[in-house]
Amino acid sequence: MDAFILRNGQLAQEDSPDLTETDLFIESGKLKAIGPQLPAVDGVPEFDVTGRVLLPGLFDVHVHLREPGREDKETIKTGSEAAINGGVTGIVAMPNCTPAIDSGGMVQSVLDIASRDARIPVYTTGCITKGRLGKELANIGGMHARGAVMITDDGDPVGNHQILRRAMEYAREFGLIVASHCEVKELSGVGAMNEGEVSYRLGIPGIPAESEEICISRDIRLAHLTGAHVHIQHVTSGEGMRIIERFKEDGIHVTCEVSPHHLIFNETHIQDYDTHYKMNPPLRRPEDNAILLDGLKRGIFDVIATDHAPHTDFEKQLDFGSAPFGITGLETALPSLYQEFIKPGHFGWDLLVKRYSAEPRRLLGHDPVVFKEGSPVNLTIFHPDKETHFTTSFMQSKSKNTPFLDQHVQGHVEMVVLDDAILLDRLTANAS
Amino acid sequence: MEPRKDLLDIASLNLEEIEFVLKTAGPFKELFRKSIKKVPPLRGKTVLTLFYEPSTRTRSSFEIAAKRVSADVTNFTVGSSSVVKGESVLDTIDTLQAMKCDYIVVRHQAAGVPNMIAKHTKASVVNAGDGFHAHPTQALLDAFTLRETFGDLENKKILIVGDILHSRVARSVGRICEKLGMKIGVLGPGSLIPRHRPAFMRTFSSYDEALDWKPDTIYLLRVQLERQKDQFFPSLNEYHNVYGLTDERFRRIEGEGTWVMHPGPVNRGVELGDAVMNYERTLINQQVENGIAVRMAVLYWLKPQTD
Amino acid sequence: MSDTNQDAASSNTMEVLLRPDDIAHKMRRLALQILERHAKAPLRFIGIHTRGVIIGERVRELLREDLGEIPYGTLDISLYRDDLDNMGAMPSLKGTDIPFSVEGAHIILFDDVLFTGRTIKAAIDALTDYGRPQLIELAVLIDRGNRELPIAPNYVGLTVPTDKHDYIRVRLREHDGEDGIYQTKKPD
Repeated sequence: MDAFILRNGQLAQEDSPDLTETDLFIESGKLKAIGPQLPAVDGVPEFDVTGRVLLPGLFDVHVHLREPGREDKETIKTGSEAAINGGVTGIVAMPNCTPAIDSGGMVQSVLDIASRDARIPVYTTGCITKGRLGKELANIGGMHARGAVMITDDGDPVGNHQILRRAMEYAREFGLIVASHCEVKELSGVGAMNEGEVSYRLGIPGIPAESEEICISRDIRLAHLTGAHVHIQHVTSGEGMRIIERFKEDGIHVTCEVSPHHLIFNETHIQDYDTHYKMNPPLRRPEDNAILLDGLKRGIFDVIATDHAPHTDFEKQLDFGSAPFGITGLETALPSLYQEFIKPGHFGWDLLVKRYSAEPRRLLGHDPVVFKEGSPVNLTIFHPDKETHFTTSFMQSKSKNTPFLDQHVQGHVEMVVLDDAILLDRLTANAS
Repeated sequence: MEPRKDLLDIASLNLEEIEFVLKTAGPFKELFRKSIKKVPPLRGKTVLTLFYEPSTRTRSSFEIAAKRVSADVTNFTVGSSSVVKGESVLDTIDTLQAMKCDYIVVRHQAAGVPNMIAKHTKASVVNAGDGFHAHPTQALLDAFTLRETFGDLENKKILIVGDILHSRVARSVGRICEKLGMKIGVLGPGSLIPRHRPAFMRTFSSYDEALDWKPDTIYLLRVQLERQKDQFFPSLNEYHNVYGLTDERFRRIEGEGTWVMHPGPVNRGVELGDAVMNYERTLINQQVENGIAVRMAVLYWLKPQTD
Repeated sequence: MSDTNQDAASSNTMEVLLRPDDIAHKMRRLALQILERHAKAPLRFIGIHTRGVIIGERVRELLREDLGEIPYGTLDISLYRDDLDNMGAMPSLKGTDIPFSVEGAHIILFDDVLFTGRTIKAAIDALTDYGRPQLIELAVLIDRGNRELPIAPNYVGLTVPTDKHDYIRVRLREHDGEDGIYQTKKPD
């Protein structure tokens, strides 16, 4: 199907709170025409997408693909297919593989596998320190030369302030973003969830929000000191967000992200030791959900990112304290954000496009996706009136560690088109 | 009263269930005076004790209780090697399931393991202590002991002393005392008093202040020696001086007729001095004896869904 | 032990078997029968919870003049029932209190209604866990037949032929506020 016309879709754009009704004429991976009531073309099939939202392909700057080393959890292939299944057409892999992505050669091999196995662009980050051990600087220049887009020891902070300072100064010269998992390990200790009434009741050691907040403050101050671009990953607490907000108000350059699960869930969801709700940094209090949502609406958060972190069933069936931290997110992000926030009117499609498609691409220095005549196609079609049933067979990720497992969520990704490839099509198959 | 399959914690019990167990334990304790201390309600049933954390006392107490209600008892010893290998607890439960046991008494160092097992099996699961979470049979036996001692517990005062933060006993005993209408005070090193404790726990800044509150009973928690290693307090000696029931403090409570409880085993010279052990108002041995009666009552009360 | 099903008892097919005076009469009859057989040997009474305890007490009172203070115990057979597995929640325990040695004793068990015989079987099991009595006899206010075990009473107040689906309700002053025995026929 080299050419086709989509009729009566609702186009979502980052700069317009309203959806615009439009037809799209797609030919050879390009937008041949856009506008209402396009004329029919002989021999070109047409599909009615009335009621569907036409989105620019989403982009996730924080995913764990587990390859190399833990291919039982995820591979670059399955992780990228999971992204497509969720309407995401570009992803940034974290470097906490086994071995860690801490050299130019490792970066190259990840990108080689990606070019062979992935149908969407897969970018990779590299480590700040060798083996993510926080002791010696990784081969930052070499990784940059091979195409690493950020450096991060994600999963762990760099504990030593001096080493982090040096890394920031060093990375600054390459224009590399230093992405920061903020945590004071000594304060987290053996903690497995937010420290609070729920952790006391369950008898699970807690991680105080201060563990994250102190580190956020440190990392931004060091970035300011060094002139580096620090990107604060997965902010969870209201106070953590306010710290970033205050620095931003002071004109200090810092970017940050928030994850769907920290917006939607909180510590009370853990209930009876459900390890699907165990992640690091942990789910905080219900009031933090509201503060983070407010921050997202006010533009404190530059991007939404899932921190897609696959783990095997076996590991997640361990007791709450022993099970690994992490929740998958690529496939559930769009429907869950729609169901929880867009449908009830907390924010509009423009915010989603801005924070989960346009800004993530800008963060990496890319142009956001545009819909105009002649531009390459990068399109996700979302049906808001259909549900998605997140069964194990529906999900493409190798791992199913999500509380949405076997749940019905409002909204359904029907089609994903990238350039001249139709990556996912649950639309025309049903139409014919 | 709805039948209940598992006993996992105190918080999820309603008052009717707590009263049922406490009332049922009485007749069971009466049996201890008979020459045949055994009754038949669990005849043909199998009780399995699954202890991932060693505890001879609790395990023996359950074993005797199970035998006195005529159940067959098997002790399943969990090799520490399989734990280290990360063999899933649920794998072990599948094995036990195949052995057709009706009750699983489990102790585990990690909170929530009994909950996990309970969801996975038709057998009744009795939590014999899980991490920092809960120790419901300890709380029930303590409540039974308090009832024996005081009768009505409404507005009676209990002072729990020690490591409130890490203690499953403090969580469960505190909760049951609250449900039975008691007033609960807690005392311990600041680093071991949880920041997010329930509102019913009132705190004191010193032993003197706590004793001025005139508790009816003092409940001493066992000090885990590794807490000192982790720097929750500077030394055992200092713990004894500041938070121990020293002989000097003992003389004060002796004069006031305060009762003393301890879940055992006791660290002499840490939680309490020697004088307390011979005190006539020490309930420590009653707690042990009542433990068997209460555990019989618990086994009698729970309803496995096995065929 | 009698059932306490309120709905069945209040349905309109209910008929009165014994009124208060009749009950008093039957109690005296039980006492006389016992006296005839046990004028000499020392006796011990044991009532089965709940209403057997009351009946035993009343008979004991009637015999006080002739036999003096008969040692009295109460028996809770809940733990010895053979149908615990089929019950929703477990029965609450009333406790057993036997303030004398049963070893070598002559014991009369008291219950309100003798039906399948399973309660008495459980009572004998429970009692023999306390020791080996020389003799156990059984006194019941009502024998309604339909035995499922080879058990027969030694003393009976009233024998009533019933269908096994009929319902006999015993109410005694000390526990229920009135004396009265009622029969509800199985609906046809």
